[in-house]
Amino acid sequence: MTEPVETLAARPKSVGARVRRTEDPRLLAGQGRYVDDLAPPRLLHVAFRRSDMSHARIRGLDLEAARGAPGVVAVVAAADLEGLAKPLVAASRMASYHGTPLRPLAEGKVRFVGEPVVAVAAESRYLAEDALELVDIDFEPLGTVIDPEAAAAGDAPLLHEEIGTNVLVERRFRRGEPEAAFAAAAHRVGGSFRFRRKSPGAIENRACLAEWDAGRGALTLHSASGIPGIVRDALSEALDLPGHRLRVVAPDVGGSFGGKGSLYPEEILVSLLARRLGRPIKWTSDRLEDLTATSQAFDEIVEAEMALDAEGRVLALRAEVLGDTGAYSIYPWTAGLEPVQVVGFLPGPYRIEHYEAHVRAVATSKAPTGPYRGVGRPAAVFATERLMDLAARKLGLDPKEIRLRNFVRPEDFPYKIGSGIVWDRSGFTECLEAACARAGYPALREKQRQARAEGRWFGIGLASYAELTGIGSKISVAPGMPINTGTETAVVRIDSTGGITAAVGIASHGQGLETTLAQVVADELGARLEDIRIVQGDSDAVPNATGTYASRGAVLAGGAAILASRVVREKLLRAAGHLLEAAEADLEARDGRVTVAGTDRSMSFREIARAVYSEIGRIPHDKREELEATRLYDPYYGTTSSATHVATLEIDPETYRVTLGAYLVAEDCGRIINPMIVDGQVHGGVAQGVGAALYEEVVYDADGQNLTASLVDYLIPSAPEVPPMTVLHVEGELPATLGGFRGMGEGGTIGAPAAIANALSDALAPLGIGIDELPATPERLFRLIERAQQRQDNQSTGEER
Amino acid sequence: MKPAAFDYLAVESVEAALEALARAGGEAKIVAGGQSLVPMLNFRLLQPALLVDINRIPGLDFIAVEPARIRVGALTRHHRQETAPELREHLPVLSAAMAEVAHLAIRNRGTLGGSLSHADPAAELPMMALLLDAEIATASPSGGRRIAARDFFLGPLATGLAEDELLIEVAFARPAAGSGWAFEEVARRSGDFALAAAAVTLRLQDGRIAEPHVALTGVDETPLRAGAAEALLDGEAPGAELFAAAAEAVRRRVQPNTDLHASADYRRHLAGVLVRRTLEKAAAQAAGGRA
Ligand SMILES: Cc1cc2nc3c(=O)[nH]c(=O)nc-3n(C[C@H](O)[C@H](O)[C@H](O)COP(=O)(O)OP(=O)(O)OC[C@H]3O[C@@H](n4cnc5c(N)ncnc54)[C@H](O)[C@@H]3O)c2cc1C
Repeated sequence: MTEPVETLAARPKSVGARVRRTEDPRLLAGQGRYVDDLAPPRLLHVAFRRSDMSHARIRGLDLEAARGAPGVVAVVAAADLEGLAKPLVAASRMASYHGTPLRPLAEGKVRFVGEPVVAVAAESRYLAEDALELVDIDFEPLGTVIDPEAAAAGDAPLLHEEIGTNVLVERRFRRGEPEAAFAAAAHRVGGSFRFRRKSPGAIENRACLAEWDAGRGALTLHSASGIPGIVRDALSEALDLPGHRLRVVAPDVGGSFGGKGSLYPEEILVSLLARRLGRPIKWTSDRLEDLTATSQAFDEIVEAEMALDAEGRVLALRAEVLGDTGAYSIYPWTAGLEPVQVVGFLPGPYRIEHYEAHVRAVATSKAPTGPYRGVGRPAAVFATERLMDLAARKLGLDPKEIRLRNFVRPEDFPYKIGSGIVWDRSGFTECLEAACARAGYPALREKQRQARAEGRWFGIGLASYAELTGIGSKISVAPGMPINTGTETAVVRIDSTGGITAAVGIASHGQGLETTLAQVVADELGARLEDIRIVQGDSDAVPNATGTYASRGAVLAGGAAILASRVVREKLLRAAGHLLEAAEADLEARDGRVTVAGTDRSMSFREIARAVYSEIGRIPHDKREELEATRLYDPYYGTTSSATHVATLEIDPETYRVTLGAYLVAEDCGRIINPMIVDGQVHGGVAQGVGAALYEEVVYDADGQNLTASLVDYLIPSAPEVPPMTVLHVEGELPATLGGFRGMGEGGTIGAPAAIANALSDALAPLGIGIDELPATPERLFRLIERAQQRQDNQSTGEER
Repeated sequence: MKPAAFDYLAVESVEAALEALARAGGEAKIVAGGQSLVPMLNFRLLQPALLVDINRIPGLDFIAVEPARIRVGALTRHHRQETAPELREHLPVLSAAMAEVAHLAIRNRGTLGGSLSHADPAAELPMMALLLDAEIATASPSGGRRIAARDFFLGPLATGLAEDELLIEVAFARPAAGSGWAFEEVARRSGDFALAAAAVTLRLQDGRIAEPHVALTGVDETPLRAGAAEALLDGEAPGAELFAAAAEAVRRRVQPNTDLHASADYRRHLAGVLVRRTLEKAAAQAAGGRA
């Protein structure tokens, strides 16, 4: 038997195919190049003496002994850097906002344990750390600011005296008549939901390497960053260097999860030192520094209440949110980034007419919080989805049914929620239905009835959410931030050897963008995947870039790559028209060749490129044009991604150990570029959400010491803790974005904490326990269960009497 | 997180190790698997002048099965203790416990001698040494000695070893034929140190419990044997009430610490649950149930 011959026409497009990640062989075989792999000659290593005080004035510094230590080239504190860099302040258009200066080293006082105070540059990291032990700092304690509620009160010590308050942002949202709706409601449910602080925990710690080219007056910074474009623009301002003399490169980067999504003091410091010392300067964070000084996440108290009518339709929602943002307003996103988006996303995928929310972001003497996969959405979804389940229980409805009754329905799109966010058509209902069908929801409920009869604690949790992705220039991804995050530029080029390079401004730190963008370009150009190289993470590659964050890569860079590729394809066909003596309309580009339709006349891209650039007389001299195009894409609004998660779990009724069972995600991310990569993103996101739900928590004690400064104490789920997962793709109606893509890099993390919290609450329902604090550690479960059992004991003894 | 400078000496005999330790006069540390020592060096919690690497000393990586006991060399890796057929057959409770120690990469390096010398209050091997009435053999300039496990663990990370003393081997007593055994642990994640763990060996004689051994880890300053519970069990017929009483005796006996991962109350609660469960399993097994 012969295999059927695959005809050209039948060959599937690259977009939509399970293409293997082209970067993986390099990354998995140890052939990647990370910042720490770079070792230019005469390299110096930096180590930081970081504050061991939570909030203190720096009364005095003694650096002499350290300066005399073996191998030490420079020891600097803030005073030694005076005038070398302009302080940067994350700006916002919000009226109530107060920015805080970003400095390379603490000036005057320290505001969290881990804040860099003194930098030592030495011939090795070992020698630099030896010298750190000789640095003497005289601190005058100023009073810790740990509890966010106390920090927001009037009498707390002020972290930034010049601001006059610890409240860095305050906002109110209001739509409709919430008071009247609550007054008229048949039912109300409410709660205080606490999401504890996280650390991003990328496998590669942050690292940066600055090289100063004295001859050209130019600086190159290699940084393990997700936002090389933003770093370039910020450093340009701080160091007063134009972009053609300032290049920021993010080479291979081993994960970020948001932790590499902001500008850091260390990046400024190595840049300043390299320029001053005329030697390359590298800093590689160790895990202790990562856990104490990389931006943290999600430290929120969400008090929320829902009003429902007798049929379980939500009438109104109100919330009071307090975000503990740590010591500084992170650059460039601001302290509003996380807490303001919590209230932005609270109404979720539901029709809720009346809405009221008040949010404050308060500074505390802890590491600054910054972006973290899901930003705002995980905490919002946790609160709203818990309320949905509480309401379902109160009304005697199934959790699935109450969601179906309240979803924005297909005919309601576009729908503006109470906070002002507009949902475009997205498969809210479709995802829930698909998830429940695949999970065998009724059978799961039956399984639960049986388990309960056997005294086992089995729980099922649903969480549905919607989020805004691929945000264009209409708004910034961080509320109130004046920086444009809504455009991306791509440069697509076929060179004289036929090699195709597509340069984009985003920066991959594990997402597989080198593969997915190549798939997009391949389809638009009619090229072969293996002929395309994606250049990313290099500020020199495109005129303007920001980076990878906010689930924007596929939508924005994908869109820009489509536009630029289309122009290059037209140019290619024009040239081929001359070479093949055919009308452009008769030409087809596919698989790296241009063919005259219906004939066997064809040329490879390579032959065409050589003819265009290198061969005399092949193309009329006035018809030669470069096979290159630069295009900018702006989706303007952005698009809605949505999903439903179904978690199952069992709690040991004696040890309270939680074992996660089958886990299911049904999601709508528009047209899928590569199902394997989408699956991988969902798997990783859910794993991260498992961490948020059950394990991960940054703990500061009353003295402001970080008690979770190693991976022995900051618990990230490992493979055995991550449940088996099924991912369903609901490719509903495509959005208006070019290519029909929606962002999907963060969704797993958004749905999982809520789904697991609901499953835990479901398992514990017979005890009357609901989970309103995450992570639900065994200790927290122990306390909740002991209290509930005591309550039950008291009740039964009361009944006996 | 880089260690302070130290000298490094790889020795090839016990004598050379002892000599190097003696010469360093308390400024040296032995390194075996390095899985506990190296993190402490990196945090600069320890700043020894010299590391004496004992990994190349021949003859310290062995398992010898004798009629009444099983001798295991100090350099025997955790992974071997987990998988060696002779241990699985004769000391299955030990092999089972080893599977809960850290992760495979760490078990490939970590050693019996290192774990006992390090004496983490939540570690499994010190608990096994207590459970199986082990005798710990050492070498030292004054000749060496044999220390009963009961006398070895003095406190968290503190043992009776002198600075110039090398742990050489551990002799575990073999439970009598027909003994039942069980091991149960609760940890935050797979491979983490125990929040609490319990292990039991016992025999049934004419339907009554004989030679009950009950050991715990993670619930006190050191791993421990639950003597009061053992006394309660000895000579009694197994049953729910008896096991509940034994669990209660354990809860009263242990004095757990509160730390980031669990309160003293929760650890005490776990100790009771795990002791009851291990007793049930071990008794069923001894009764021939092979549960
Ligand atoms: C991530 C992680 C998780 C872990 N989880 C667990 C766990 O769940 N349970 C558990 O029990 N352990 C755990 N461990 C510890 C691990 O089992 C260690 O390997 C073990 O405790 C020490 O053995 P080692 O051979 O590595 O000793 P080393 O680190 O080399 O030495 C430890 C100490 O013992 C001394 N020493 C070593 N050998 C001798 C000797 N022969 N004579 C005298 N002194 C000696 C050293 O000087 C040092 O003070 C974990 C370790 C890690 C890194």
